[in-house]
Amino acid sequence: MSGRVQYKRGVRVSQRHGAGEWAIERVALLILMPLGLWVAFSAYGLAGAGYEAVRAWFANGVNATLACITMVVFCTFASLAWKVIVEDYIHQPRNKALLLTLVNLVFLALAAASVFFIVRLALGSAPLPAGIGA
Amino acid sequence: MSAPPPAADPTNEADLDQTGRFVRQPNGHVRPLSPHLQIWRWHITMTASILFRVTIGAISFGALIVLGWLAVLACGPDVAARFDALAGSPLGLFIGFGLTLVLFSFILNGTRHLIQDTGAALQLKPANLLSHIAVWGPIVLAVLFWAGLFASGRVSL
Repeated sequence: MSGRVQYKRGVRVSQRHGAGEWAIERVALLILMPLGLWVAFSAYGLAGAGYEAVRAWFANGVNATLACITMVVFCTFASLAWKVIVEDYIHQPRNKALLLTLVNLVFLALAAASVFFIVRLALGSAPLPAGIGA
Repeated sequence: MSAPPPAADPTNEADLDQTGRFVRQPNGHVRPLSPHLQIWRWHITMTASILFRVTIGAISFGALIVLGWLAVLACGPDVAARFDALAGSPLGLFIGFGLTLVLFSFILNGTRHLIQDTGAALQLKPANLLSHIAVWGPIVLAVLFWAGLFASGRVSL
């Protein structure tokens, strides 16, 4: 894989996975643009609507599916974007590796937990035992 | 990209320079000091670029708040009512306004980034226009968003 210098339209192609990550980041951002508008639209509709309205909204399969896609694609984008930020400012190999691992873990957990809660809401599962604010 | 400095300008000669733009490297070589933030005139394209990074940071925390909201909803109506009371408080509304600001900033600035990633709109005029939209647009949209919510009576202080 590495070692072979290639060019595409006069621009040197990265020898390892850099170009692929760059492309994934762009595709994820492109998908997030219409989803972002949908989030804004949905937030406007749900603001001050009350618990039952929100439950009904999540019970709609289209909303639940789009919400899951939004969170997963966002976490994909954000982990790559944070990777670029970390690589720009953190130069010590050890700290860099540590932070990149942390970033990946945080967004993996965020995506998994979001999907878990959204699926529960969509299926109308019984309320979880409240540890928050109890 | 970066054109070599014109040789006729004596201030570009390291041994004639009195501006401190050249530094002696540890190996003894004299090298021009690379320009940094403080010598650039502040420009809207620069603002938009920096704000996109800030936006990505902010929207990541916004996603954590969304996760908290999802968790609260999954815990049933009693816990959700507590969250709603918090969200409806002045501090909650302030954070809510910030979240919409960040969301619109993400959409507008992300669109600017995607357009310019294709190599389009990098000339001065379109780049300035896109940057102005990305910097000021979110404020306008967020204010309209909340003006609509307050006007329709669904949110109140």
